[in-house]
Amino acid sequence: MIIFCVVGSTESIFGVTIMAVCVAVIGKDNSPLYIGGVGNDTSTDNELSRQWLVHTALDALEERLASTNNSNTSSGSNAARTDLRDLYLGLLYSTDTHKIYGYVTNTRIKLVLVTNSASPSGNNIRDAEVRTALRRLHSLYADAICNPFHLPGDQITSAKFDKQVKNLMANNI
Amino acid sequence: MADDILFELLHSEIINYALDQSKSNDDAAKKEVDLSNVEYIGFAAGYKVMERLTREWPRFKDELDTMKFICTDFWTCIYKKQIDNLRTNHQGVYVLQDNSFRFLTSFSNGQQYLEYAPRYVAYTCGLIRGGLANLSLNSVVTAEVQAMPSCKFHIHVQRT
Repeated sequence: MIIFCVVGSTESIFGVTIMAVCVAVIGKDNSPLYIGGVGNDTSTDNELSRQWLVHTALDALEERLASTNNSNTSSGSNAARTDLRDLYLGLLYSTDTHKIYGYVTNTRIKLVLVTNSASPSGNNIRDAEVRTALRRLHSLYADAICNPFHLPGDQITSAKFDKQVKNLMANNI
Repeated sequence: MADDILFELLHSEIINYALDQSKSNDDAAKKEVDLSNVEYIGFAAGYKVMERLTREWPRFKDELDTMKFICTDFWTCIYKKQIDNLRTNHQGVYVLQDNSFRFLTSFSNGQQYLEYAPRYVAYTCGLIRGGLANLSLNSVVTAEVQAMPSCKFHIHVQRT
């Protein structure tokens, strides 16, 4: 099933379920390295709302990380997550319209995936699918970083990476 | 394996090149050779390779966990063996000992090439430093060679 969506709109193209809205790669110092959304609109409004969505999740992400570092103190709140050392952090934050999932690599690169919370079919987005998508994003990121012309900490401008990420969003989730 | 040989030859050529460069830069009778370029090449390589190597790994618990990773997986990936001995004072100083360091195994075990040995460890110092830097541990890495194929790397983690 191919899914397309535009941020800030609940209308789906082709009448198909809206799911992955955007993905972002955030660097060690919380500066965005890459923010990509499905749908070919690059208007300021959507770019802004993507940035906003991703950045609202960063606090929740930091909190989750801090609680995994001193693991024993917060067993209650994170009971659902069995493995505290897992790179995948699960659902960070959800609003009326969006759900935000996080993933932090060992090298402190944060990967954020935003989906629409309401799926018309009534099915919830499966955790395993998000996990797989984020894992694949991680591999894509690792490949992009190995480009000798890419300097660590720079924005990712690679067209290939962009294309692969958009494919991932369109097919996987 | 052919690819191991390629890496070794490339490494020694990089060192020869850096030596040539440093010789032409200061024609004064300076005995000290400048290997900071080689160290930097190592740093960049270590930094980038770390993203790939830690991909399948669970999150590191602490600094010691990270060092264990360097001694086992990181070393195996690059030098096809593990570090033989890891020591620490639990205050940010780690000593990694490799009893047959790959870049030195092809030389005589005696005293003959001992004075040239530091050239062959500069790249690896950078490699360790870069790897740790990407895992957000700033460090100073030095190496010492006392008896020929064995080498000790001193890692001093900088705490802020």
